[in-house]
Amino acid sequence: MIAANVMTTDTITLTEHNTVGDAINVLAENKIRQVPVVDRENRVLGVMTARSVIVALLPAYITKGYLKDVRFAPEPKDFVEKMEEMKTIPLGEFLRNRTDTMADEYVCVSPDTSTMELAAIFINRERRVERILVVDNNQRLLGIISPIDVFKKLWKQST
Amino acid sequence: MPMDTKILIATAIFVTVYGFLIWDRFDRAIISVLGAGGLLFLGIITQEEAIEGIDFNTLGLLVGMMAIVSICQKTGMFQYLAIRSAKFARGEPMLIMIYLSIVTAVLSALLDNVTTVLLIAPITLLITDALKVTPYPFLFSQILASNIGGAATLIGDPPNIMIGSSQKFTFMDFVVNVAPIMPLILVVTLLILKMLYKKELAASKELKLKIMEFREEEAIEDPVLLKKSLIVLSLVVVGFLLHGVFPVEPATTALTGAAILMLISGEELHNIMGRVEWSTIFFFLGLFVLVHGLVEVGLISMIAEKILSLTGGNIATTAYLTLWLSGILSAFVDNIPFVATMIPLIEHMETYMGGKEVVMPVWWALSIGACLGGNGSLIGASANVIIAGFAARSGYPIGFVRFMKVGLPLTILSLLISHIYLYFRYLS
Repeated sequence: MIAANVMTTDTITLTEHNTVGDAINVLAENKIRQVPVVDRENRVLGVMTARSVIVALLPAYITKGYLKDVRFAPEPKDFVEKMEEMKTIPLGEFLRNRTDTMADEYVCVSPDTSTMELAAIFINRERRVERILVVDNNQRLLGIISPIDVFKKLWKQST
Repeated sequence: MPMDTKILIATAIFVTVYGFLIWDRFDRAIISVLGAGGLLFLGIITQEEAIEGIDFNTLGLLVGMMAIVSICQKTGMFQYLAIRSAKFARGEPMLIMIYLSIVTAVLSALLDNVTTVLLIAPITLLITDALKVTPYPFLFSQILASNIGGAATLIGDPPNIMIGSSQKFTFMDFVVNVAPIMPLILVVTLLILKMLYKKELAASKELKLKIMEFREEEAIEDPVLLKKSLIVLSLVVVGFLLHGVFPVEPATTALTGAAILMLISGEELHNIMGRVEWSTIFFFLGLFVLVHGLVEVGLISMIAEKILSLTGGNIATTAYLTLWLSGILSAFVDNIPFVATMIPLIEHMETYMGGKEVVMPVWWALSIGACLGGNGSLIGASANVIIAGFAARSGYPIGFVRFMKVGLPLTILSLLISHIYLYFRYLS
């Protein structure tokens, strides 16, 4: 079995001109964990997750681990305001400016990648990948794979 | 091998090592260990001589204190102290800057500078964000304060550890001879920073009140561990102070304290060991061998004679020259290799200048110059480099020139104050 058989193809995508607010809405309404952002030619620019928005909201000295927790600090007044401001930022700009790329890390593979390789990517301890994008030679998005997709296909085949 | 060739090879290796250290492309530990290995493989010094050159007291003291600090930093006491100072200042930005600097200086005197600034700085940004003021004055003042505080004690800064260890100076020797001038230098530094940043550091009443909402008691992550750490830390400091009573080196005190804390803290040993900066320890190791190589081939005594003929063996001239040379050089090159080289140099001049007692002011000049010189530029000391890296990653890059505009004049001023201090205390 290869990636082309496992992937979900009816993926919802957003373009670089959609806003962060659009991304949050798509994630919430469709109850999905990630939404790929593509350009006009369907080439992958990045992936938006709830985590990538949270990381952008928090100061870098927290997201980069210099302060492990801030339970002793009062909530800044502008924390909610910052969220409002962020909603209108176009996704292209958001993805270019983010400082922490670990928050929404993804891996691109070709459609003929083996299922075993997919499984190995998901359990890689160093990268903690939660999603695999299947792309063609020109980085155009073909489908998306989450760990449960691999599991479901394997399950179906064994029974 | 003829002595001349040995001197030539030893010098070549030493200069190459220095060049690589300044180039800063590879880790300094690798460079120094490679250089030391070169000396041994080329037969410039023997294995026995190399071992003899290593100051195990310095290494032990560093490892012991690093292990103790690595446990202390998990208690949240640094965060607690930072928040307490901010609240003590009633949220007034200028006062917060001053109090945080004093806390940084005191902690740096007793613990490792790098750990101190790296734990205080993130809280500082949290506070400046809440106050909506620029963090730069705070970060600058903390860099300066950590190097001034570190200069005050035997264990405050690596140059002091090296000088103290090689000369068998006690903790009290530094308290009596170097520490008295540091509060004055800190006060002058803070007053000038206050004038410099008066306009930038203003916050509305509402934002100042926000600071009072911080709950410092919740910063204490592990109250039991905190108690244990503070008890052991106090015991270690008392041990240093009682240096004369027990016939042991400071390294023994620090390592014993570290072992006790490891025993009672219940921390995973390999976690504590993992946080000890082994690369620094290996840097020292290689450096000691390299410098001992220069001593063994006779290069150090040659240079000592040259300096003596220049200064005429005059103690005051030598002390002032040491102060300013080490101060200015330490601003731009690593002060550790510099001090490592200066120690045998001063030792060689000792006999010509009238013995150990007479030369004492030169040792204090070296200690003060090398430690305070670290404030001259962003690369002058480890604390500076660490803060610069942290600030850049947090979105507040510190420009090299921007820091130097503040740091260098203040360093020169602090060296001037020290010059006057040395004059009145020892040389008038």
